[in-house]
Amino acid sequence: MDSAAASAIPRGQVDLVDFVDWSGVECLNQSTSHSLTNALKQGYRDDVGLHLESDADEQLLIYIPFTQVIKLHSVVIKGPEEEGPKTVKLFTNKEHMGFSNVSDFPSSDSIALSPDNLKGKPVNLKYVKFQNVRSLTIFIEDNQGGNDVSKVQKIVLYGTTDWPTKL
Amino acid sequence: MVLEATMICIDNSEWMRNGDYSPTRFQAQADAVNLICGAKTQSNPENTVGVLTMAGKGVRVLVTPTSDLGKILACMHGLEIGGEMNLTAGIQVAQLALKHRQNKKQQQRIIVFAGSPIKYDKKTLEAIGRKLKKNSVSLDIVDFGESDDGKPEKLEALLAAVNNNDSSHIVHVPPGPNALSDVLISTPVFTGDGDGGSGFAAAAAAAAAGGLSGFDFGVDPNIDPELALALRVSMEEERARQEAAAKKAAEDAAKQEKGGEQASSSHDATMAEPNSSSVPAVDDKRHNLTDDEAALLEQALAMSMDDPKSTNVAVADTDMSEATADDHELALALQMSVQDNAKDSPTQSEMSKVLEDQSFVSSILNSLPGVDPNDPSVKDLLASLQGQSESQQKQNEDKQEMRRISK
Repeated sequence: MDSAAASAIPRGQVDLVDFVDWSGVECLNQSTSHSLTNALKQGYRDDVGLHLESDADEQLLIYIPFTQVIKLHSVVIKGPEEEGPKTVKLFTNKEHMGFSNVSDFPSSDSIALSPDNLKGKPVNLKYVKFQNVRSLTIFIEDNQGGNDVSKVQKIVLYGTTDWPTKL
Repeated sequence: MVLEATMICIDNSEWMRNGDYSPTRFQAQADAVNLICGAKTQSNPENTVGVLTMAGKGVRVLVTPTSDLGKILACMHGLEIGGEMNLTAGIQVAQLALKHRQNKKQQQRIIVFAGSPIKYDKKTLEAIGRKLKKNSVSLDIVDFGESDDGKPEKLEALLAAVNNNDSSHIVHVPPGPNALSDVLISTPVFTGDGDGGSGFAAAAAAAAAGGLSGFDFGVDPNIDPELALALRVSMEEERARQEAAAKKAAEDAAKQEKGGEQASSSHDATMAEPNSSSVPAVDDKRHNLTDDEAALLEQALAMSMDDPKSTNVAVADTDMSEATADDHELALALQMSVQDNAKDSPTQSEMSKVLEDQSFVSSILNSLPGVDPNDPSVKDLLASLQGQSESQQKQNEDKQEMRRISK
């Protein structure tokens, strides 16, 4: 299952983990022992024992800046059946969002994850909305089972970079 | 050195008129706020601090987070006391003020001074705490003033809800003689989370409480090691000089009453004298002295007898009382030989410090009528005193020389 998901990289897309600006990565409401690197970083995210977990309640706000402008094609979000995320909203190029202003403006895309997605099936995004992405904010609103704690095993972003720009 | 934006919530309710913290609760609180602002801005120049009041007509932000210390201190003037404190609204407004800070890289922190009773229940406070934790805001609570129906428990519950990795703290300050700011200085409210701000805290403690915050002489050895070392060395030298001077006074006082000269062999015998017998001898001496000298002698003897290691010095004191009034070198030699027997480094180091002070020794010798400083044996003695710390054999030589002279 893992290998199938890994080999199912959409054609022409790359795994954008190499373009993440790690110095600016932030995650609100994460549990200190289960932090974002467990879900995002190469190596950590493939370790089944490591996952990202929410702390005070079930919502998570993840901010990922990139080292260059990218186009985002699809995402893979893996998690456990019950505590995995359900409603996920994505925002582009909005720095330092807080839980209070997630509802202030519309999201670039809003996805509802199915159990298939949680097993590794990529979710295709509205590509037109993600053409000029400097930073991505992922807002996990709730989870599958309605629990107090959300858990995320792995987050993979697929897309392309602009550079070198086509002349 | 953590980069931080802080909002301080001040309680200016009617309960702050109380005088159980001097001069009034409100003034003590204001002093603490001033100190905190200084500490924060000093620990990192990019830190910002803001202030709001929770009581009065409503929650009012006096100054939004700024690094300008003057502005913060200025806004503390002319604050009026009155009304009731609204804790939840105060914390929420503080959170909002922090959300709109200019430098988003700063960590968010709220410091709450809770002096009046809290009318909210635990659940509300815990909900607030969770919201703060969710937005990664740390909270420091200063519980002072009124302590009634569960206030400490409520605040502890709030802290537990907020606390993430020990970044939030609570301090309970009971009323008492110590100023609120003095108590706070040693707490994590001031010192941050271990590192950062400790330098300022040490300096502030030195200014306020007389340098007893864990650093000697109010100087942080980490910040200024040379200064700390210099202070320590000069303090020890001064102590040694004072002890030597007191001992000298004891010697002089003792010598003045005795006139007879005794053979040095008897001195050797007395050196082996047990401490208990030296005490009655000393007591006898005491009766014969004038009041001033008695007081001085008592002080010196108390000093020498209090120190368990310098029992030999006490024995030496009694030895010297039997020595001649003029034969000071003999007394010095006796001390040296006593140290010889004891091989006691603390007393020896004190003595060596004294004896190494050339001017001190020569001035003593000059003042004694029977001694000619140009006497070769005296010169030899002086030379030997300088090299005392190095060779024990030199001391033995001089001892024999002295015995030869006195005989």
